[in-house]
Amino acid sequence: MGWQRELGWGNPVLVILLRTATPVASVLTAAMVYWFGSSQVGLFDPARLAFVVVGASLYSQISTYSIVPTLAISEGKNTNLFPNVYISPSSALPYLAGRFLASFIDSLPVVAISLVVSFFASIWFFGYQIPIIASVESVTMLMVAMIGVIPAALGLGYFLGSYAIFVTKFEWALPSYIGGMLMIFSEALFPSSVLPFPLSTISEGLPFTYFMRASRAALIEGSLANYSLQLGLTATSGFVLLIFGMFFFRWAEKRGRMKGYIDRKTM
Amino acid sequence: MVADSRSVKGCVSSDLWFRTMYARTWVRTKSIFGEPVWLLVGIGFPLFTSVGLAFLYKSSGISSLSGFAILGGVMVSFWSNVLWSMASQFYWDKQEGIFEVYLISPAPMTAILVGMSLGGIVGTVPSALLVGVLGWSFFAPQASPNWAALAATFVLTITALYALGMLLASLYLVYGREAESLNQAVGEPVSLLSGLYFPSLGKSSPFPLAVQAVASLIPLTIGMDALRKSLFFAQDLWAIYPDLVALTAMAVALLVISKKSLDTLRERGRREGSVSVRFT
Repeated sequence: MGWQRELGWGNPVLVILLRTATPVASVLTAAMVYWFGSSQVGLFDPARLAFVVVGASLYSQISTYSIVPTLAISEGKNTNLFPNVYISPSSALPYLAGRFLASFIDSLPVVAISLVVSFFASIWFFGYQIPIIASVESVTMLMVAMIGVIPAALGLGYFLGSYAIFVTKFEWALPSYIGGMLMIFSEALFPSSVLPFPLSTISEGLPFTYFMRASRAALIEGSLANYSLQLGLTATSGFVLLIFGMFFFRWAEKRGRMKGYIDRKTM
Repeated sequence: MVADSRSVKGCVSSDLWFRTMYARTWVRTKSIFGEPVWLLVGIGFPLFTSVGLAFLYKSSGISSLSGFAILGGVMVSFWSNVLWSMASQFYWDKQEGIFEVYLISPAPMTAILVGMSLGGIVGTVPSALLVGVLGWSFFAPQASPNWAALAATFVLTITALYALGMLLASLYLVYGREAESLNQAVGEPVSLLSGLYFPSLGKSSPFPLAVQAVASLIPLTIGMDALRKSLFFAQDLWAIYPDLVALTAMAVALLVISKKSLDTLRERGRREGSVSVRFT
């Protein structure tokens, strides 16, 4: 049901293709900005291009499925679906987790398509082959890393979902800010060392940064030791974020029920 | 007598046109400025995208090009407004039953579209300015503006862009639930092709000639190219006049096509009854 809803009840192939256009274009935009900038000063490096392509491909998906709980609540309020969820015996937590996982599954082909298109586009546009390791092992490692970041993304989703319980308009505003900050602080496009101090230290506190590093260790460096370390940090910090997110959401849900925010909407 | 009657009819219809346009402009402007939070929520996407790409320029070894990313952030505010508040507006109006009211009222549809555009431009200017000011303050990129060329290019780019929005608004009338997915699918690829953050035309473009030719059919592509030339390379009106001529031609052509398209699709919708179809 969650999957069908995510696809807007449309043709799955067509909808996935339409949804792929945006992340692919975002990845190519970042790649072209890097290519144009570095070419002007003669510092173009295909390995850095791979860094940008991998990060941008994964970032666009994290930012998409992290906001699913927010959208699920705001849509649910407007379509009167959410009150049915909260009067059910269980909390809204499993409902939102279901919507989140459906969106996560949708994102898998999108990430794969983004990487493949970017690989061939780089050859076509820049005349360089991105040095990405495309083997069964590296793809498996990437998949494990993507599963490893689920707790972090779901935890963030619960935090943003809590916000959606209390607001009746501009629900998308905070997620867009958080998504934007993730682009800057999670090493999606550039190493955190580029950021001025103390902004650069923020990256070290984010599970998404470690996820980016683990994915690059799998696809670019091929370093199992670094991959394992970064994956461990992703999962550990992700579970911390998930636990806090769940507690915060339960509190928000309880408070929303008491104060009547939970089914309030703007007409 | 007949001539007098025509003249009176013309005056009444032009009066109605301007009153409709003013009313639609006022509603849109009021809806934005009546809620000051709009200013803050509207800058999230363009601001963070342009800051992220400006840092990417910096990490590429050329922080002086961060101005390209900031300019892109300013212009993407308008492009987003065209997509989400122009192109899909009639679809949302149809969903809420307002479009049927437009149809049965004597108000000219073109006046409603122009009013929507003017309101959208007025409402987007503060967000775009804020993105520009914040970005420029943080990165302080070098610029050598030719103000006359910059102003002319900006006005013509916005005019052509909103004319494109009018055309899309009429085309979206024939779409159902796909309208939103289509909007999401169109936004970023057009930003890529039009070179919002890097030059997509000329020798510096990474695109082959065929792709550049397709990209140059989008008003934003020509506009961004001319804006960069006039803002960063001090090119004057004479130097960028081919871009200005192209933008003017595009604006006029898109306005004419959007009028014809709207009339055709509205009539088709009336005949087939699809104008009042809603998706819940």
